Amino acid sequence: MSVDLSMPVLVVDDYKTMIRIIRNLLKQLGFEDVDDAADGSEALQKMRNRKYGLVISDWNMEPMTGYELLKEVRSDEGLARTPFIMVTAESKTENVIAAKKAGVNNYIVKPFSAQTLKGKIDAVFGG
Amino acid sequence: MLLKRKHPTRIGGGALTHLSPDSIDRISSFLREGRKESVTISDVMALADLMATSFDTVIKGRDESAYREFCAIADAITRMRTDIGNLQASELGKHRIPEAGQELDAIVEATENATHTIMEATEGVMAADPNDPERYRETVNNACMTIFEACSFQDITGQRIAKVVETLSMIESRVTRFAEAFGTAEADAPGHLSEKEEQREKRKRELILNGPQNEADAISQDSVDALFS
Repeated sequence: MSVDLSMPVLVVDDYKTMIRIIRNLLKQLGFEDVDDAADGSEALQKMRNRKYGLVISDWNMEPMTGYELLKEVRSDEGLARTPFIMVTAESKTENVIAAKKAGVNNYIVKPFSAQTLKGKIDAVFGG
Repeated sequence: MLLKRKHPTRIGGGALTHLSPDSIDRISSFLREGRKESVTISDVMALADLMATSFDTVIKGRDESAYREFCAIADAITRMRTDIGNLQASELGKHRIPEAGQELDAIVEATENATHTIMEATEGVMAADPNDPERYRETVNNACMTIFEACSFQDITGQRIAKVVETLSMIESRVTRFAEAFGTAEADAPGHLSEKEEQREKRKRELILNGPQNEADAISQDSVDALFS
């Protein structure tokens, strides 16, 4: 994996168990610095206070969804280039197309395997 | 009565339309032409009497029509009461639906507890020191047993889900019967969402919140990957 494993990763999900699962998977992949947020607005606040190397976000959250977070990030000059992977149960083609149009780097449909997560992170960083 | 004698069917028919301006003109003409003299007070009185009789017939006709309408409405209300009774909404509202809600809460709790137990066991294995084989083996074995035990939640949640499905089926059949009894046109008519529901639907549309799909409708990871290649 040609990824900087020391970069901080932000996991955004309103379901604590899912955060725990992704944290453990990232830990297994070698990432040590993993932070989390419970929705898009909390994530945005954290992103404005700290530079993250990767955001892994769910779509369906309240009050701010992952889709809204993605659009906010891409329209913010300081955050626009942050790699963003959507990990979601939103599995309709229109969701994938909308996310791609909004500038997502990759899209993982839940439930997913550790291998899929690794593969998408590798793909985002050109590994 | 003068007028009634000469034109009984035209004047005394009882229909309100007979008292239209045209009819009154004809009556006036009759009074003038028939006598070649001025209309007398008694003629006017005869006409008034005739008109009162005509109105009486009209009103009686209306009464019968209204009576039939009210009977039909009363029958419909009786049928509606029976159909509403058959819905057993009270029983559904007091017992079935709250119980289904409790079952779902219990399912969420059971799956959450099981997930927590399984994750704790696996985290224990991940954190175990493989340099101490004896202790490591014991940790793995204990974790496996814990995971097996935790997986027993599936049996209970399966039974709970079956109870919820039964309640939903019951509601579905009763509502369908009710809709059929009163015609589906009204039941299917749009615009029955509350303001709050309308807002939620709007949010779902705007933010493309479709939720998880059935396997047949969901896009596969391979298809997603194809869109990104």
